[in-house]
Amino acid sequence: MNALLKCLCLAGLLLPAGCAFDISYVKKLPATFSAATASAPDFVLQQDVTVGLGTGFPTRLRRGTRWHLVGTTEYGGVYATKDQIVTVEASNIYEGQLIISNQCVTGFYLPVEKMVTPVSRPIHVEIQTLNSP
Amino acid sequence: MKKILGLLFLTTCAALMTGCASGPRYSALHSSETPVPAGDGRIYIYRKAVLGAAVQPDVRVNGEVVGSAVPGGYFFIDRPAGNYQITTTTEVERTLSLTLDPAQVRYVRLNIGMGFFVGHVWPELIDNQEAEQAIQSCHFVGK
Repeated sequence: MNALLKCLCLAGLLLPAGCAFDISYVKKLPATFSAATASAPDFVLQQDVTVGLGTGFPTRLRRGTRWHLVGTTEYGGVYATKDQIVTVEASNIYEGQLIISNQCVTGFYLPVEKMVTPVSRPIHVEIQTLNSP
Repeated sequence: MKKILGLLFLTTCAALMTGCASGPRYSALHSSETPVPAGDGRIYIYRKAVLGAAVQPDVRVNGEVVGSAVPGGYFFIDRPAGNYQITTTTEVERTLSLTLDPAQVRYVRLNIGMGFFVGHVWPELIDNQEAEQAIQSCHFVGK
């Protein structure tokens, strides 16, 4: 009987451990996205940037990648790149686009979910603005 | 003793091999694949990892079963430009959401990780350059 009780306790401890794989969520906030109508200058990232969202899976943005404006939200301008894959990862993975406001990363726009996942603190980034859009 | 070990080895090899893909390789087939229909994009879905070969969940795209996560296998689907969710389910459900533009080609790798009872398979969007290298040795398992 004692052994059975021990087994049950062990199972009880192990079960939540198994579930721990599934408890990392991306914070998603509703956002109003407006597609870019006017052309804006592209920019090139001048440094590698690691953007943590508190999920344990930071998003890495590579130095030298070129970004172009695709729209705006209340969190800032939304930029996309063809130079690297941009995803936001937790238990699930979401393709993302970079949100920049005042030369700071403020979050990611998730085009499939049409929502924003914000960073806890804006991250200042060094960029080089290109003259021709 | 040697006989038993030999038999054990062969049994293990046989068990591993039965779960793996055996169609033509991407490197041989890719050049003769049908072109992407106008207005569509193409998504390649592949699994390199042989670890957990017995775990081969269905792969769903926007809820529709399009294939299985066969170790060493790949397949592709053509879909109109738009938004897609690729899902695999074992003891948990894992989803990848991605956009697809006209004529765009995207690569999704199916990874396997530890689970409590069953391994977890999760889809991950991979950079085209990296994926085109990795997928070369995968065998076609599509329809």
